[in-house]
Amino acid sequence: MKRIWNHPEEPKTGRRYWRSINELESREDFMKSLGTEFPNGDMLNDEERENSRRNFLKIMGASAGLMGLASCRRPIARLVPFTSSVEWAVPGKPLFYATSMPRAGGATPLVVTTHDGRPTHLTGNPVHPSVSGGVDAFAQASILDMYDPDRSREPLHSGRPATWGGMVQALTKVRHHYAENGGDGLALLVGGEVSPTLARIRADLAKRFPKAKFYRYEAASGSQTKVNEALLGAGVTPVVRLNKAARVFCLDADFLGLDPVSDDSVAEFTSTRNAEKPSEAEKMSRLYVLENRYTLTGAMADHRKAVSASALAAAAAALAAKLGVGEAPAALAGSVDPALKAWVETAAEDLLAHKGKAVVLAGSRTSEAIQALAAACNNALGAFGTVIETYKNTDDTLSYGSLKDLHAAMAAGQVKVLFSFTQSDPIFDAPTSWNLDKLASEKGVKVFHHGIRKCASARAASWHIPGSHFLESWGDVRTKDGTYGIVQPMIQPLYDGVSELDVCLSLLGKRELDRPDPKPIDPKAPPPPPPVDAAYEAVRETFAKIAGGLDEQKWNFTLRDGFLKDSTAKPASATFNAGGVAALLTNAKPAGALSATAPEVVLVPDSSLWDGRFANNGWLQEAPDPVTKLTWDNAALIGSKTFRELGLSEGTWVKITTPAGSLEIPAIEAPGHVSNSITIQLGYGQRKIGNVGSKVGFNGYGLRASTDEWVISSGVKVEKLGRKAHEFAITQEHNSMEGRAVYREGTHKDKENFAQVTGIDSHIPPEMTFYKGQFGVKSATNEAGFDYETKHQWGMTIDLSKCIGCTACLIACQSENNIPIVGKDQVRKGRVMHWIRMDRYFATAEVGTEKDHHTNKLPSVDDVHIEPTAEQLEDAQMVNQPVACQQCESAPCETVCPVNATVHTDDGLNAMAYNRCIGTRYCANNCPYTARRFNWFDYNKRPLDELYMGPLSTPDKTGMRESLKLQKNPNVTVRMRGVIEKCTYCVQRLEAAKINQKQTQRDSKNFRVATDSVKTACQQSCPAGAIEFGDLANKDSTVNKLKLSPRNYTVLKYLNTRPRTTYLARIRNINDKMPGAANIAAWSSKQF
Amino acid sequence: MGNFFPRWTNWLPLKIAIALVFVVVGVAMGVTYYFTPKYTRVGYMPTQPVPFSHKVHAGQLGLDCRFCHTFGERSSHSNVPNNQTCANCHGEGKGQIKIASPKLQPVRDAAKPDGKPIQWVKVHKLPDYAYFNHSAHLNRGLSCVNCHGRVDQMDVVYQHESQSMGWCLDCHREPEKNLRPLTETTNLAYTPASLSRESFYKDLLGKAKADEIAEVIKPGAKAAGLPELVKLAEEKFGKEVTQAEVGPQLKKHWQIAPPENCTACHR
Repeated sequence: MKRIWNHPEEPKTGRRYWRSINELESREDFMKSLGTEFPNGDMLNDEERENSRRNFLKIMGASAGLMGLASCRRPIARLVPFTSSVEWAVPGKPLFYATSMPRAGGATPLVVTTHDGRPTHLTGNPVHPSVSGGVDAFAQASILDMYDPDRSREPLHSGRPATWGGMVQALTKVRHHYAENGGDGLALLVGGEVSPTLARIRADLAKRFPKAKFYRYEAASGSQTKVNEALLGAGVTPVVRLNKAARVFCLDADFLGLDPVSDDSVAEFTSTRNAEKPSEAEKMSRLYVLENRYTLTGAMADHRKAVSASALAAAAAALAAKLGVGEAPAALAGSVDPALKAWVETAAEDLLAHKGKAVVLAGSRTSEAIQALAAACNNALGAFGTVIETYKNTDDTLSYGSLKDLHAAMAAGQVKVLFSFTQSDPIFDAPTSWNLDKLASEKGVKVFHHGIRKCASARAASWHIPGSHFLESWGDVRTKDGTYGIVQPMIQPLYDGVSELDVCLSLLGKRELDRPDPKPIDPKAPPPPPPVDAAYEAVRETFAKIAGGLDEQKWNFTLRDGFLKDSTAKPASATFNAGGVAALLTNAKPAGALSATAPEVVLVPDSSLWDGRFANNGWLQEAPDPVTKLTWDNAALIGSKTFRELGLSEGTWVKITTPAGSLEIPAIEAPGHVSNSITIQLGYGQRKIGNVGSKVGFNGYGLRASTDEWVISSGVKVEKLGRKAHEFAITQEHNSMEGRAVYREGTHKDKENFAQVTGIDSHIPPEMTFYKGQFGVKSATNEAGFDYETKHQWGMTIDLSKCIGCTACLIACQSENNIPIVGKDQVRKGRVMHWIRMDRYFATAEVGTEKDHHTNKLPSVDDVHIEPTAEQLEDAQMVNQPVACQQCESAPCETVCPVNATVHTDDGLNAMAYNRCIGTRYCANNCPYTARRFNWFDYNKRPLDELYMGPLSTPDKTGMRESLKLQKNPNVTVRMRGVIEKCTYCVQRLEAAKINQKQTQRDSKNFRVATDSVKTACQQSCPAGAIEFGDLANKDSTVNKLKLSPRNYTVLKYLNTRPRTTYLARIRNINDKMPGAANIAAWSSKQF
Repeated sequence: MGNFFPRWTNWLPLKIAIALVFVVVGVAMGVTYYFTPKYTRVGYMPTQPVPFSHKVHAGQLGLDCRFCHTFGERSSHSNVPNNQTCANCHGEGKGQIKIASPKLQPVRDAAKPDGKPIQWVKVHKLPDYAYFNHSAHLNRGLSCVNCHGRVDQMDVVYQHESQSMGWCLDCHREPEKNLRPLTETTNLAYTPASLSRESFYKDLLGKAKADEIAEVIKPGAKAAGLPELVKLAEEKFGKEVTQAEVGPQLKKHWQIAPPENCTACHR
């Protein structure tokens, strides 16, 4: 008898996971969009439809003509070898170089894959002592900045293209002038990078120009340096070792996202999230988070509470008082809300019980008072010297002013020539009221701006000097713990840019920036000596000083490894200056009353754009924000209660007025956001930055009056504007899993095997077959099974206890697998190409027990239109789950493909033969995990604004931009239009590993690649170590061991698709005494 | 009513049908012959910028393939030599061979300090979506000659095999037809008959037990050592060593299992 399987009904009561409020409330348009495999897939607007009709014949005619010409002859292909051998270069094999990405306050050690001299992919440096090998999304995507076609290519003079000669002339004039007067009127504005060579060269500059002034500016850095200096001493950096912490309390400290507290905070934190089963939850660390909006850290928290940013100081004071910090101001601590007080004090008791293993973290952009109180708490908890290590940097002996000081000096007419090196964009991100642009022209300040982007500052400067990317130049760095590393170039500067070091050296007269015309070489003359690179020599000189002599072998080892061995600093002994706390608390005062129309405004750096410097990076622009799932935009994030009080809906424009300025910006409802508070991500709204980033989003920098104002709590006014709603590209409803139990989490109260018996999994019939196919181990009884004897069998696990949802894997995949970006319009139509999608779910309290606020009745059993209250939405819990192709053994996609384009391999991969695919999209329609993507256009070839033009697009825009071609991975097909694509488990890496094994074993039988030696791109980049991949046929592989874990579960197991990718359920380490503890992750025992 | 159609039209439909059959068969044959790689690719012999003769270098002089194509055993790509390799013999102040020949002018030009590399014309071209790896084949008992023909007898290199997908799969399904000992991969003149049976089985005994080797020669057979194996093989295959004897042995004992999955070549 035919058995019909229906998906289990949705629960009527109990907790539920949902992605968007539309989904939760089953709104009509959302329900309608569920029917198609790509939401809004056929949504053309009228203009587009008209356009396509009118152009159809033209396009057909043109392409037929082209076809006729092209097919006449076999095109001639050329083989062009080098004229003479290049060291290490083997055609067809990639080379790997170690380098580091300079970051504000530290560095990210990297390994760069280069193909034929082109860097194509970045990964973390696994041998570096400060990190474990993962990277964040910014570092992963930074390679695209180098290939950005809109990069600064030539010098600009007052915003207009100019010649190198003119720029160098102006520079030389300045140098000679200031050499005579000792640098009076000369100012240098630098960024936050930590480079010993730059520090040394700046000290030389200070010697050459004794009266020159130095300033430091990073738009997104807070007052941390000042607090550290007051409490720990000048030049001291605290590094928090979260792997040593059993209890962590965060005061708006997004240490897993935008506010790292060590070189590898994510890995150090997730190394404490190793519970094998619910009963071991206590072994894990416990994370408490107070914040006004959801961050990645809040999502990982065991206990989180939404608190308005202006009330955070009071909460910190209450915490400090409970922990016995004498300096905690009683008035401030007394002003705390009673519910919050109970929450904080219960947590404080837990911290006190773990003295020496507990730490309180304050965000670097919180007020000085909060940071000082957190430091005092740490002192009371005995964290200094145990969890917190302190390092003293002795490289940099100069003292730097802030941008505020520079502004004052400019206004006083003390600055005549300014060199701006900071990677931030002061004209864009400094407070509008300072009017730096106008001030410079009024006071006659000649600005030399150096950078790789044609940003607002570059256009406003008298001269802009094109910068070189860190992959194109020599330099050096220190990580937070003092490990010395060298930045080495992988490629000649693409557009002749020069580095900050080069410019500084030219100011010292050690380097000419001029580029002479290439002279014809006289064949008779002996070859000229290789040009001396002054930056290279300068780095070697610094290296010699640090390594104690220029040992060539040591230098070569350092280049190979990416760091100088044994250069990690010894932790300095910390002396906490408790006397300094009181001085930092003077500005702290109890929060004023907030309301929906007079809320607080919280400005935060963006998880895609940081302070705005990545605005023209398409990968980052299109990577959905981990929390809001917003792409190609920022928005005013408003908590549900306020959102409803203001009568807003998604995309409604609001006008936010602060004492410093006003901003018109569309709003979205943000679950987990505190009420009477608005969060705005910064970095958006740049007017002219390039094809990707121009006019994307809204500039929140104009709302603040000074560079350290991150929370604007008084004088804010919000009004709703009647304009037509803004259209956001939010991916949260794309590729929906339709509310099925795909995410599993538990606490110590759950049974050991809770993950495997949850939902319908507990009553699947043993002989269930839905999709028949090849599965299991090949044996005498299972002839059709997979061969575990003579083949590899690839598999993957994703540990949800560790996954923080940061999207680094998504960008790593994009970089490795040549995945194009599609642009905002296409994202809106659900045509995102990312092979991995980072699902974000919110979970609310038990909806079935709450009264409906319209009818004031408990929902009946049949009522599926569940409307949680605004308060429940504020307390929503957030979880992340990355989903790519699950590589099902009995894959539903394969049975429906009419042309056998997607078939199974002997290794258990669900293969996709692009050249066979005819684009029926049946497979995507039949994939229960909605993991397949369709190429609607030649995204790789066409500019995003001319996708619909076909061959009629502007001639110079047709085809892939030259510089972007260089980034492509030659081992992966660049897919064309009309083809389905999806995760391949990085099959190019698997095949390369197998071939490498054959190459080394030759005529022997040992075909199996070494245990755990192949890594997929996502696994390699994951900073949390959440992804494990390997050979299931190899008994020793890590993935095999993890598959035996009691937490291991299969998504949609009852379909019997037998995926090779499985998940390890998340364990939360809850504190039963905390208010609301009963509600956390309590769904497992109740659902279905 | 008169007959509108003359009598002979009664046969017309049949005639048309027969003619159509011929036309259709003709067109089908034409397409299969003229549109397939066997016709479109085999014999492609472009003119190279330097009239380099493989017949002279590899044939008469006996240079090993790997002398110039250095990385075939290590990389996916078997490289064209860089100009330095040519100039070592033909460059001024180097090997001094034919340094005045006008045909070698491009080599001398490229050897200058600002010289541009010679742009050779690609003869064997795979589509971009097919990933071929030289090292995987050369290290597992396939020879250059299997895909490129007797290059040592070609004055101008031309494409010898169709190199179509079907042609690839023929060998992936029956690799034993082409396998040879690793020492013979660049010996283009190799035939199985040139092998000594003793040394072949002696080498093989390092990889497998005598009984396992005997089993491949003749199912169910057993052998104690080398002499028995040689005797057994002589009984089965005759005096001369043939591919039918060598191929299956190498396939079995080197565990040659060429992938037939899409992902082997398409990624």
